[in-house]
Amino acid sequence: MSSTSIENKVKKWHSSLSIPGKPNEWESKGLLNSIGVSTPRGVFIETGNSLAPDGDVSVLGRPGHRVVKVCSGNILHKTDQGGVLLDISENHLPAAVAKLQKTFPSAGVLVEEMVQYRGSEIIIGALYDPTFGPAVMVGAGGILTELYKDVSFRLAPCTRKEAHYMLEELTIFPTLQGYRGLSADIDSLAGTIERAAELAVHLVHRGCQLDINPIVWSQERWVALDVKVVLT
Amino acid sequence: MNTSGSDLKKIHKLLNPESVAVVGASNSKGKVGNIIFEGLSRCKARLYPVNPHEDVIAGYKTYPQIADLPDTIDVAVVTVRAEQAVEIAEQCGRNNIDNIIVVAGGFAETGERGKALEARLKAIPDRYGSRILGPNSLGVFVPENNFDTIFVEHGDRSLAEGGGIAFISQSGSVGVEALGLASNTGFPLRAFVGLGNKIDLNELDFLKFFGADDKTDCLALYIENVEQGRKFLEEAKKVSSRKAVIALKAGRTPTGATAVSSHTGKLAGSDRVVSGAFRQYGIQRAFDDEELCDAAKALSYLPPAQGNRVAVITGAGGFGVMCADYIETDSPRARLQMAELSDSTISRIQEKAPPFASCHNPVDLTAGMTNEMFINTLEALLEDAGVDIIVCITFFAPHSITDKLIDQMATAINDSKKPVMVFTEYGPFTDTYLKEFYKKGMIGFPSLTRTVKAVRFLVERGRILSALEEEA
Repeated sequence: MSSTSIENKVKKWHSSLSIPGKPNEWESKGLLNSIGVSTPRGVFIETGNSLAPDGDVSVLGRPGHRVVKVCSGNILHKTDQGGVLLDISENHLPAAVAKLQKTFPSAGVLVEEMVQYRGSEIIIGALYDPTFGPAVMVGAGGILTELYKDVSFRLAPCTRKEAHYMLEELTIFPTLQGYRGLSADIDSLAGTIERAAELAVHLVHRGCQLDINPIVWSQERWVALDVKVVLT
Repeated sequence: MNTSGSDLKKIHKLLNPESVAVVGASNSKGKVGNIIFEGLSRCKARLYPVNPHEDVIAGYKTYPQIADLPDTIDVAVVTVRAEQAVEIAEQCGRNNIDNIIVVAGGFAETGERGKALEARLKAIPDRYGSRILGPNSLGVFVPENNFDTIFVEHGDRSLAEGGGIAFISQSGSVGVEALGLASNTGFPLRAFVGLGNKIDLNELDFLKFFGADDKTDCLALYIENVEQGRKFLEEAKKVSSRKAVIALKAGRTPTGATAVSSHTGKLAGSDRVVSGAFRQYGIQRAFDDEELCDAAKALSYLPPAQGNRVAVITGAGGFGVMCADYIETDSPRARLQMAELSDSTISRIQEKAPPFASCHNPVDLTAGMTNEMFINTLEALLEDAGVDIIVCITFFAPHSITDKLIDQMATAINDSKKPVMVFTEYGPFTDTYLKEFYKKGMIGFPSLTRTVKAVRFLVERGRILSALEEEA
């Protein structure tokens, strides 16, 4: 994907946000999809709407367990505020949606397929460094990411080769490479880092930050389960 | 200002002046202007003391002010206090002096008044085309031509032989203290530059200059803040394809003014981005002054390692075991491994080794080792294709080892393209031995951890070079 096409996509995306300057998760995931990064299949329920009895969730694939999340550019720490409900069965879905709508009356709700995976949770991030400009990060993701600090940075843009070096620096690298039977497509992950870096060049102005956390290897592809874009 | 070709010529003059004015030169012993002027009398440049209160200083005719000087001046060293220094620097500018070194502190770091002075100083380069080093700069020291404006002890006599390392330091004292210590055991110095407050000349200018300088084979930098971040990195990458660039970046700054609400922002601080950026652009990062000097010395003197397999020769089992432990400890700089010696290497070592020796890696020749055994082992390891780098743990205590070993080792090592590092345990004679090694073209350290750290720098350098070659 060319740099100008990413630049155009970012511009268009900026002007499409429902709350200017404050993208919600659904919108941030849309941005990632547009540069070729997969996210779970999902349905976005706008503020005040309710879950359609059958129609909506059919896009989530065969019936199974779902993730229900509050989805608003105004709520950055949704887990801490009780805004994420995991492992919701089809039967309990309407009640779960209603519960979040009651707690967060002015926010939308995102219903997603519950992605199955067993390998490592990875974080890919980007930010603007005051000395060196846009930078990209990869590391051990999930809720303990700040505890382990197993991360590696490079400046953006960043070549795929360099992205491979970043991965090789990580303590969790062996878990991508067959450690205890765990393996994943390393080159495809490096490609995702490369694209995130490209995004960083156009997206990340002073003070802006991107977190893709976690991104996991599931059914032969990397899927970004949660994405946060903070603009200023 | 950006460095152009004509600016590189000016920097050349700054380091190799034919004529130098010292403003504030003095006859009073102990005054900065006295120490600097006396130091300069050892260089070949024409010297002009400037001081309105003196007629003659150290036998030189003294001029009341810059405008009275009878010659074109390449460098003016301004040794007077901040307020006067600005005035003098402006006079230097008006009189077309190419380079001005401002020694005084007391500028932006002291508050509003100092900031105003610094602003006046800053205007000079654009207005007159003069380049300014400092303020708050210890100046420069170039062993090759004895040009030395540093007024504190910095091992200048030991460093006088010169060498290939350009040492560029934002902090004068970190620079000279490090050099002073390193000089005890020999340090190949091309030039020292104290950047100070960097209102004009900064690390990027000197990176360009020494990058292009044929007599420089390694650049060592101490920096607290990087000016023009991306340009600096891009220039460093160009330089690092030809010579090693090592940087000690001290001082961690907050990520930015805005609130950090992402994991990425919290994990970054500023420091992890620096490490990543340095790695990406071929800069080797040192974390303290000892590491900076050790790495520079090793990288200037020794070839880069072609791989990460290390062989160890020792006469003392314990140090061999510890060394193997250090080698196999993980490090983000470079993973090392103990080399597996070939059968022919092992039998070659066995032929001459004492009966209780262990001829596998680490090779332990025991206290019964002789010069001949040691050299035989060293030569076998140098020729083993499975060994990339060798650590010699050498003691000169056993009666069977004589000082002649140093010459024999030097001959074997200097004929080889494989790096060899020597560790000798610290004791009363160590510095003498280390200096002796250095004179003969070998690198030694008085601590095992320092030795293995330096090994990692050579392996990292090898990896940087092959990545750059692949890219080209």
